[in-house]
Amino acid sequence: MTLKIRSSIAMENKAPAVVLPMDTASIPGTIQPVNENKIEIQDFSFYYGNFKALGNINMLVPANQIIAIIGPSGCGKSTFLRSINRMNDLVPNIHTEGQVCLNGEDILGQGVDVVDVRRRVGMVFQRPNPFPKSIYENVAYGPRLYGIGKSHGLDEIVYNALKQAALWDEVKDKLHQSAMALSGGQQQRLCIARALAVEPEVILMDEPASALDPVATLKIEELMQTLKETYTIIIVTHNMQQAARVSDFTAFMMIDNPQTRTGVLVEYGPTAQIFTNPKNKQTEDYVTGRFG
Amino acid sequence: MSTGTQLWMGASSHQFFQSKRRYRQRQLTNQLMLSLTGLFMFLAVIPLFWIIGYVILKGGQYINLSFFTHLPTPLGVVGGGVLNAIEGTVVLTVLASLFAVPPGILAAYYVAFRPNSVLGTIVRFGTDVLSGVPSIIVGLFIYALVVKSQGHFSALAGAIALAILMLPIIVRTTEEMIKLVPNSLREGALALGSPEWKTALSVTLPAAAQGIVTGILLGIARASGETAPLLFTALGNDNYDIGNIIRSGIATHQGVFTILGSIIGQPVDSLPLTLWKYAQQPYPERINQAWAAALVLIIVVLLINILARVWVQIQTHRMQGK
Repeated sequence: MTLKIRSSIAMENKAPAVVLPMDTASIPGTIQPVNENKIEIQDFSFYYGNFKALGNINMLVPANQIIAIIGPSGCGKSTFLRSINRMNDLVPNIHTEGQVCLNGEDILGQGVDVVDVRRRVGMVFQRPNPFPKSIYENVAYGPRLYGIGKSHGLDEIVYNALKQAALWDEVKDKLHQSAMALSGGQQQRLCIARALAVEPEVILMDEPASALDPVATLKIEELMQTLKETYTIIIVTHNMQQAARVSDFTAFMMIDNPQTRTGVLVEYGPTAQIFTNPKNKQTEDYVTGRFG
Repeated sequence: MSTGTQLWMGASSHQFFQSKRRYRQRQLTNQLMLSLTGLFMFLAVIPLFWIIGYVILKGGQYINLSFFTHLPTPLGVVGGGVLNAIEGTVVLTVLASLFAVPPGILAAYYVAFRPNSVLGTIVRFGTDVLSGVPSIIVGLFIYALVVKSQGHFSALAGAIALAILMLPIIVRTTEEMIKLVPNSLREGALALGSPEWKTALSVTLPAAAQGIVTGILLGIARASGETAPLLFTALGNDNYDIGNIIRSGIATHQGVFTILGSIIGQPVDSLPLTLWKYAQQPYPERINQAWAAALVLIIVVLLINILARVWVQIQTHRMQGK
């Protein structure tokens, strides 16, 4: 894979809305751009009613990389993740500030088609949540929403999605049996296949392996490595070893202080740097297991 | 042993739990309570079997083919059946379900996902109150609203009254069942870009289908057994025969809608209504027919229940891959 190395200055010229601080390495939320940025998050704040759950998050997500978000429970990791495909819209009384840009286009803006955002930004949940339908119907659910039927090559889409999710060989003989009969790990890979079938650009994973045994977890992690050639992946995990194993970049989030309980991005950078040579004391304490 | 582990009356925990006497006492209490619950379980099902047995005993001998295929004969003429009541029950129940099921499910969906909104609270409170309204009041209400304004009794008015009685049952059971569907399923569909209405139709409602069908059945069972709301609305009709209506409609070249109109536009009988009328007449053959009608009513309601439960079981097993 060729990496397009771009300076921060060049990017500023292309997208004037992105204001990068001069000393990019020392400011949380900025990294030296590697690939083209898939997602650019600027000054993003999130409120449940009056409660500020996320404060002023800045983050650039390069394409075709795996970004891990780590941090103690209750620091807003999931809220942050769910903002990227607007799943938080389901919660009443929320509002956001700032921008979350997908390919340079703000997805939080007025008049944005939420359905389209969710098609482009797929999601895999903490617990496998296959629909109580057949394996085939689970994968076909997404394409069918967009009017793709058998005559438009639905079978092929289902085949490709299951193949990409490394599930095809295990289920090819029982495509029309219920998905509920699969094991937990298979169900989770089915959910990944289901998300892949609508050809998203980004896949969000909210602790995808936390309900799985070590073997199934390993399979999901291997799968992520192949998927990143095609997709950009953002994963929330409580498992720091997992973050260190799978991700290219790591973001460490924490609440700013016990009174306001607003989640902030403390440090963001290449995974190796976060785990071996963090710039921030809190990050160091967390990754070395001194708290959290 | 330290004082910390001392229990009541100075006995140490060791002595207390190892005591043979205590052990015997607990076993006895256990057996006593178990036999008591068993006994009352038995008492609780006695009425069911007693009723069914008694009705079979009294009505079984009067059931024959013509009971199902013939209209009532005039008093004094032997034979005759309750075809009018059977057909009327079917028409009333189908119509009432058509009126009650779609709005019931939609309202339940709204209440399940907006439980704390103003409208949600009103609907929930309203259905609770509605389920407590005596059915005869509902009958009177529809009499004033539909029968008076139309100028005649009809199956339509009866069905509306029954629908009002079914509605709260359907709303409350459906709401509970929708709430039982894991939210993660709904999120899974929404995350694929499915609009809310498609998610409801293709994921949430099918996942809750088992419970929803049970709720609808409870509603139908209630509606098909009601007499009071039909007294002022469906009234009763000894000559109601759908076959006749259709034949004469075709003979006079009426359109489909005219025929349907006359099927639901005239007064009809239902099994409980017939039962109520026959049971208070002084003629033995009418009394006997009332018993037979009671038996048919029980069998129909039981059959609906059993068939639907079996169907739901099969569906659930298929979905869970068993």
